[in-house]
Amino acid sequence: MQSANMLLRKIVGSSVLPFAAQHGMKKDLFPLSRTLSLSLCLKQDKSCEPSEKLDLDEWKKVMKSRLQEEVSETVSEPKELSSLAAARETLEMWRLAGRAVPEKISEDQLKTFMECPSKSAKKKYLKYLHIKELYKKNDKRKMDEKRERRLEAQDEASKTDETKKSSFVCLWTSTMDKAYNWRAAQSMIFGQPLVFDMSYEKEMSVREVTNTVRQLVLSESCNRRSVDPFHIHFCNFKDDSLYQREFIKHYREAWDKLLITVTDQCYTEIFPKDKLIYLTADSPKVMKTFDHDKIYIVGSMVDKSIKTGVSLARAKRLGLETAALPLEKYLLWSTGAKNLTLDQMMHILLTLKDTADWKKALEFVPKRKYCGFVNKPVKDLKKTLDLINTLKLGKAREEVEKKFAKNYPKKYRLKQK
Amino acid sequence: VQPPEKPLQAEEWNKLREDFQLPEIFEEVMLNSMIRCNSPIDVAKSLLTHVAKRNGDVAYNVLVKYLTLCVQQGQVSEIRDVYDIMKVRFKILEDGAYNLLIKGLSNSDQWRMALTLLEEIKKITIPSRTCYESCIKAASRHQEMKLAFELYNEMMAKGVVPTLDVLQSFFHFSRGVNGAELQKELFGILLYLRENQIYPHKTLMRSIKLWFESIPGGNWRGRLTKIKDSGQCPVCNHQLEDSNLTEEEYSNLSESLIRDVIHGTDTFRKTSPKEFEAFQTFVESRLPFDIVIDGLNVSHIKSRKMQCENLFDAVNCLAKENARLLVLGRKHMLMNSSNWKREIMKEMQNKADFFFAENISEDDAFLLYATLRSGKHCKFVTRDFLRDHKACLSDSVRRHLFRKWQRGHQISKKKCFSSVFSQQPAFRYDCVVQTTGDTWHIPYKDVFEEKHSYQVPRKWLCIQQK
Repeated sequence: MQSANMLLRKIVGSSVLPFAAQHGMKKDLFPLSRTLSLSLCLKQDKSCEPSEKLDLDEWKKVMKSRLQEEVSETVSEPKELSSLAAARETLEMWRLAGRAVPEKISEDQLKTFMECPSKSAKKKYLKYLHIKELYKKNDKRKMDEKRERRLEAQDEASKTDETKKSSFVCLWTSTMDKAYNWRAAQSMIFGQPLVFDMSYEKEMSVREVTNTVRQLVLSESCNRRSVDPFHIHFCNFKDDSLYQREFIKHYREAWDKLLITVTDQCYTEIFPKDKLIYLTADSPKVMKTFDHDKIYIVGSMVDKSIKTGVSLARAKRLGLETAALPLEKYLLWSTGAKNLTLDQMMHILLTLKDTADWKKALEFVPKRKYCGFVNKPVKDLKKTLDLINTLKLGKAREEVEKKFAKNYPKKYRLKQK
Repeated sequence: VQPPEKPLQAEEWNKLREDFQLPEIFEEVMLNSMIRCNSPIDVAKSLLTHVAKRNGDVAYNVLVKYLTLCVQQGQVSEIRDVYDIMKVRFKILEDGAYNLLIKGLSNSDQWRMALTLLEEIKKITIPSRTCYESCIKAASRHQEMKLAFELYNEMMAKGVVPTLDVLQSFFHFSRGVNGAELQKELFGILLYLRENQIYPHKTLMRSIKLWFESIPGGNWRGRLTKIKDSGQCPVCNHQLEDSNLTEEEYSNLSESLIRDVIHGTDTFRKTSPKEFEAFQTFVESRLPFDIVIDGLNVSHIKSRKMQCENLFDAVNCLAKENARLLVLGRKHMLMNSSNWKREIMKEMQNKADFFFAENISEDDAFLLYATLRSGKHCKFVTRDFLRDHKACLSDSVRRHLFRKWQRGHQISKKKCFSSVFSQQPAFRYDCVVQTTGDTWHIPYKDVFEEKHSYQVPRKWLCIQQK
């Protein structure tokens, strides 16, 4: 779009203007005469200024003569803008100034933008839209490329025209789905329950709820695909909540056919209290083994603003047992918060349930958050740490030690020198 | 990219552009480096001419870049030209361009145009504080103090926080000017500093001093000084305001502490209702305390020593003064362990009252509650800066109250703790701008940035009327 505009301007600007002034012609030049006039123009310039002196303010003349044209075109436009149109105008200017602003913006988005309480909130929101737009564009491009490649492949396939022979019919996704659903249905009767506590809507912003639901959708699908799925419970689930609306956005009609239990009851009403364990990173207790007779609760909350102790408070209020994953026991933690996403939790719990192998289960913790596993004996651990320390220079050594000491008090503390 | 030194011909620009890896952004990159090197304006003009000739148009971002260069060099006529072009070409401008235009024009004799531009911004959005700053400075430079104050009051009403530079320009340009109205406004600024616990930097302090001394017939005299620990000014022997809160402030603070810090959104996050109730009855039955000690914090003072020994030393040292002590701790301290010896704990409990919270509860909140509940004389001991608790308070007024109270009541350096505590002892006087009518005392800082919110300046400006 923009390049087309530029081209148009190029035509209009560079060729017409010198002439337009002299001959009173405007715009009705034939495209053919463009090259001609341009070369003429250049020649004129040179002949006029033999001393090769530059007219430094020429760009102003160009701009101003352009202006006259445009002004005569835009005269009929109404002067006062509605606030919405003004906001759109501002955005357009920001885009021209090269800020992170989406090219297209819907009416709703514009309204959200105007309702942002501060300038920085506005900037943040626009950046978010901008990045979203970029992703979408990229996806679309990739899809197109893929389609092209597929068409090419089809062409070639039709040329060779070979029929494959196989004793099995190709397993289509619908067949797989049936198998998965059968398993999930079985888990609803015999499976170990896993509770997602859906009582955090008030603690979250709209975007955090959206992210939560997305993570839940991911967790549900990986549960369904596992060998021995959990029986998922969404407890404290209110009808017509933001959660529900988001779920319906994701699942559409399938929402009512999901093989999970959704209830507005609290988990304490459904299960005996002594069987419940609330999983929270703030818990002082560390989980040692996965217990197949217990019912684990995961808080459905994405917490971008570090509200510590919210889920622990829930468990405390109801007098439930709590537990945290033994992240520090098994991983040499480096950066990031200890709270994991819901789908990571799901992967970890599923793996634990199948294998009871912490190392395997904690593979699902994002790699950027830890340096390595500490399932080796402490002596080995010390060796690797010493190695790290010698690699890092002077100050860094102290820092590593400090970090280590913070994460692993007393027991594994390094000797001083 | 190195910008050329002289204006170039179109062909030469073309060549440069083609040699550049990303021809689309060549102009932007080139102008950026021109801004950085502060190249002559003619070079930039020749580039624009080249662009205009090639495209028949100059893009908005390129214009803004050029404008930046003009503003940087104070080329007023160019700024006007660019503005004229922009105004007709675009319906509205974006704030970056407005900021530049206002900054550029306010420094020239066409500064009134900056004011019209400011009006234009107001139609779209709230002007930034740099816009206001430029306009106010321009107005006061031209001795239009009334206009400057109008703008100042307007920005305050809009919730735009002024920079200290703006305040400085008020004092600077009011020097030697007579007028009751003006004096009232300037005193208003000093009171604004007081209310928001803002400490002027050295330059602003100097302007304030000179302004006072220049008031015709005022006979003011300013001297720089340091206030004694007793709170007495060595220059005028005046006793500064003491750091105690008023009754109203005190009750306001304790109420919001209970509401925002202890209960917050959910009482269970920091404690539990049952535990808090138990704590309340415990405190009420033994009131009032003189010193409340954060047991766990104090026990970590010396890492070489056993934790309970550290606490024991602190309790012993504070108990000598016949004070009623309350030590707050957690239940795990009662378990006999390598760090917590049962006998020592027993001995301490004879000298002080102890309250042990659950291991997962936050004892700091209890510390604050017990101290506030005991009354104004009560102090507390911890090395913690309590920033997280301050952050829980709902508004800045309460946060200021909290800091003031904290300064007056937190002990963190005592002889018996040797050199471990690096923070200052509890302040007896309040560290804010203050006046008695014929004296002003203004704390100021040497550096522009103050690093920590708990730190207060030690240097003062004493202004006295003879």
